[in-house]
Amino acid sequence: MSTNIPGNLKYTKEHEWALVEGDTVTVGITDFAQSALGDIVFLEVPEVGSELKNGSTFGVVESIKSVSDLYAPVSGEVIARNTDLEGSPERINQDAYGSWLIKVKVKDKNDLANLLTAEQYQEFCNTSH
Amino acid sequence: MESLQKTYLYDEHVKLGGKIVPFAGWDMPVQYTSVKDEVLAVRNNVGVFDVSHMGEFFVEGKDAEAFVDSLVTNDIQGAEMGKAIYSPLCREDGTVIDDLIVYKLTTGHVMICVNASNIDKDFNWIKSKHTGFKCNLTNKSSEYSLLALQGPKSFEILRPLLRELPDLEYYSVFQTEFGTHQVIIARTGYTGEDGFEIFGSHEAIKALWQKFMTLKVVPCGLAARDVLRLEVCYPLYGHELNDEVNPYDAGLGWTVKGAKTNFIGKEALASKKARYKLVKLVLERGIPREGYPVLNGKNEAIGVVTSGTMSVVTNKGIAFARIEIDKVPADEVFNVDIRQKSYPAQLVKKPFVTGGHK
Repeated sequence: MSTNIPGNLKYTKEHEWALVEGDTVTVGITDFAQSALGDIVFLEVPEVGSELKNGSTFGVVESIKSVSDLYAPVSGEVIARNTDLEGSPERINQDAYGSWLIKVKVKDKNDLANLLTAEQYQEFCNTSH
Repeated sequence: MESLQKTYLYDEHVKLGGKIVPFAGWDMPVQYTSVKDEVLAVRNNVGVFDVSHMGEFFVEGKDAEAFVDSLVTNDIQGAEMGKAIYSPLCREDGTVIDDLIVYKLTTGHVMICVNASNIDKDFNWIKSKHTGFKCNLTNKSSEYSLLALQGPKSFEILRPLLRELPDLEYYSVFQTEFGTHQVIIARTGYTGEDGFEIFGSHEAIKALWQKFMTLKVVPCGLAARDVLRLEVCYPLYGHELNDEVNPYDAGLGWTVKGAKTNFIGKEALASKKARYKLVKLVLERGIPREGYPVLNGKNEAIGVVTSGTMSVVTNKGIAFARIEIDKVPADEVFNVDIRQKSYPAQLVKKPFVTGGHK
């Protein structure tokens, strides 16, 4: 059971983390998610300029044996992608919170209210797995 | 929900932190630490798999070899005593019921090891063909546990634990003792590496597993096993093989011995007609997965991926794909459709990885 859930981040039930800074949201996958996936070997995230829709899939992360969809925590435009991960997605296994995937410019700030707090996400992980 | 069976080693897997998943009606460990580490342990050192879910049938009596020979496409009677023979088990129309290994233990004593998901289907089929032969057929799947010890260090790990273990040829079988337990040892496995499969009573196999753990043999799960067998291009029932295809459709023409007097499916297989070609594809970018469409150079669908993964050894996407025989592209240009995007795939003739088996 993962206990690595930083208090300064927000979370989704699909195990993404979100760092909210003004109207910019930095998105990654949680330590729980990387641990469940195992050795991450492939990552696909949208180009800068793509529009994301809250709750919809925006990319995939693949381990040796599995494919998992990534879900957008908010609606908005992709303003950056972490090119450091392109050749070495295994960094997500080593440091899930240091390995952000994309940055999104939030379209509707109401989306932020629906994200889980660290406490809520911890509770979610405890009860659903 | 149907309740899943557990192998006798289930508690050992849980104790080791194994991630348990349902597989072929069984609760099986899919991985313990990391698929990558487990694959590399087998390629470079030694690992062990609990494959007790697999089935064991025994055929015993004067006509044991003749009976088994009549069931399968490969040559059983012609093989030397003490050999293990891989073979498809086919219907009259040539379709594959299962792929299995026949072990010629001693004269009049044959063991057949079958896939877990096909135990009942195989046994019922074999029983229905068991007429006119002087031999007994028994399904002892629930009495046997089975370990696969795989990797270049397998022999040096296993030999001191047994009363006797000669340096067996690949695909040979030998009966000996582990402590007071009778065990059947075969130099087989499904990883491409040197190694042994050890059949014995549940108690014997549990004690042997525990011994392996004290010797730091790496416990390996089904995920690593699947990567290992795909890297060396061994087909797996339910993927490359199924009830609809014949051995030629799955690249197993070499196991069909047309010169044998008679066997079930002989007539249908005599024409060597294949509806499909099983090809090996390598992707520099993207990971092919089972079910993904395979496309030609014009991006027209010509087949489907039957097994795919990221190779741990080559760090590339690798796949078996079943291509419709009349759509195999002459220019050998293949693409794999991954999430509606076309990724170039290179056709290769040799296995993706060369195993180190004898």
